[in-house]
Amino acid sequence: MRYLLRRVQRLAIVLAAVTLVTFLLVNVLPGDVAYEMAGINSSEEEVQEIREDLGLNRPVLVRYWDWVTGVFTGDWGQSFVNKEDVWETIVHRFPVSFELMLLAQLMALAMAVPAGMICAFRPDSTADKIIGGIAFASVSMPSFMSGILLIYFFSLNLGWLPATGYEPLSEGLWANLKPMLLPALSLALVEWTILMRTLRAEMISVLQEDYISLARAKGMSNFRILLGHALRPSSFTMLTILGLQVARLLGGTVIIEQIFGIPGIGRLLIHAVFTRDYIVIQGCVTFFALVFVAANFLVDVAYAWLDPRVRNERLSHG
Amino acid sequence: MGEIVLDVVNQRTAFATGRGMLTAVSGVSLSLERGKTLGLVGESGSGKSVLARSIMGLLPRAAVTGPGSRVLLNGRELTRLSERELRPIRGAEMSVVFQDPMTSLNPTLTIGKQLTETLRFHKRLSKAGARQRAVELLRSVGLPQPEIRVDQYPHQLSGGMRQRAAIAIAICCDPDLLIADEPTTALDVTVQAEILDLLQRMVREHNMAMILITHDMGVVAGRCDDVAVMYAGRIVEQGPVREIFHRTRMPYTAALLSSIPRISDPAHRRLDAIGGRPPDLIDPPPGCAFAPRCKHVSDRCHRVRPEPVTEAGHMYACHYPLGMKEPA
Repeated sequence: MRYLLRRVQRLAIVLAAVTLVTFLLVNVLPGDVAYEMAGINSSEEEVQEIREDLGLNRPVLVRYWDWVTGVFTGDWGQSFVNKEDVWETIVHRFPVSFELMLLAQLMALAMAVPAGMICAFRPDSTADKIIGGIAFASVSMPSFMSGILLIYFFSLNLGWLPATGYEPLSEGLWANLKPMLLPALSLALVEWTILMRTLRAEMISVLQEDYISLARAKGMSNFRILLGHALRPSSFTMLTILGLQVARLLGGTVIIEQIFGIPGIGRLLIHAVFTRDYIVIQGCVTFFALVFVAANFLVDVAYAWLDPRVRNERLSHG
Repeated sequence: MGEIVLDVVNQRTAFATGRGMLTAVSGVSLSLERGKTLGLVGESGSGKSVLARSIMGLLPRAAVTGPGSRVLLNGRELTRLSERELRPIRGAEMSVVFQDPMTSLNPTLTIGKQLTETLRFHKRLSKAGARQRAVELLRSVGLPQPEIRVDQYPHQLSGGMRQRAAIAIAICCDPDLLIADEPTTALDVTVQAEILDLLQRMVREHNMAMILITHDMGVVAGRCDDVAVMYAGRIVEQGPVREIFHRTRMPYTAALLSSIPRISDPAHRRLDAIGGRPPDLIDPPPGCAFAPRCKHVSDRCHRVRPEPVTEAGHMYACHYPLGMKEPA
């Protein structure tokens, strides 16, 4: 219980800091949503009028307070541009981004875990060097660039996968997955290297442990030792990184959704930034922070699953 | 003469280091009969653990084994077998108990899992059968409430209980050879005797041969049939326990023996420690490795390495053995 309380406390602090900073930052940016709404050929008076209508001429902190109290009562506000309810828009858009992020992390793990194990098994072997080389090339390429290269090869040259677009799950699983594969892969290509390198480093030291020697002394095969004995105790750092990467992925989706034309939360945010629709920006940023904190909470739960020592501590501390 | 279980012939194990080759074990030979216990004694760094790992084939990849080295288990030469061919032997014909049960059991697997995987691989038992056998084994090593312990993780057991579980794992497939590498060093003094008693009982019940590695001559006294004293990668004295204790020839062995505190000693007597440190194994001096620390050293000891001499089953390597009038 105490543990949960601490978590909630931390969440509140994170949210307060994140939202206040974005609020102030958006305010510092030149131009505001009133210009956007008034249109190109409007006079300064018209813009001023809209500003007064929307209450934009009030001090920043007053507007921030307004927004915060709104969020607490479940009112995330409405977009200045299209008057849509912010919460509903986010809830509608987030599953698309979530699928993209999940798919990207799964792909990254699917590459990182076997590669990391191969590298850790024989450090400095040819296989380790080759995999390491590929991994560093892959991480050195920004995701928007690998995204464009992937489109070039798989969509334009080979014609296997669509370059852009999105299909809801109701159209069938494959139809839904097909346009998601390339964007997810371009995100995964950056993330897997970090996961692979952390797993490799930790596993190299785990493989020196006595209990690995004992497993060998019991006649266990290398495959079984790596998978059954070494993987779990080697995964702690990787798991932490996995949680922290959610932040990078949230940022990554903003760019990748733009390139691949995916109607997720990232594109919503970009659009809101361009139109200075600060209510939507606030909504997205708050939501990102929530997702990030939730993801890291899941990581903590996963620790307990990985390490029985953590599990018991939780139980005894209640 | 009983049946010979283990034969080690001229074992040499070296490691490539940044400064050159470090010879951790240089030319060790020993053999062990079924039902017998050999105490392997020496300071830290004397090569006893490397010797144990050489026998098991558990050396790190940087290790180099000498061309003339042979390890025979039940007459089969292990040094010639591939990793794949060794697997059915490891855990089934020979097994090991490590020093620290904190680190030798996998923290993320239950005790039962670590036991049953061995049983299932070597004995081809069913899941249920292996579990039942695991509970029996845990009971036989004196673990209380084995039905509960079998589903617990190592951290839920005390040090002594963990070592009991590790012993259960080691003996689960009735090995012919058990190597116990300082099995009590990491344990509380009160538990040490219990664990040693347990090992002794297991050797008797399963009719195994055991190598008991220790740095404590006191442990050897009551529990081993033979002793081999290692110094700087070589066996410097070897023979039946009684013989070694009563007719100590090698000054190093004598020094080890006098470093055991005795109840008959007056209170607050200073313990005899062996001054100095073991030699550098990368570039060892030409003569006797113990010469720089020996009380009885002469010029010859620094120049010529003493060849091992065997008389009536008692082997020693010393130019000026103790208790002898004339130099050997």
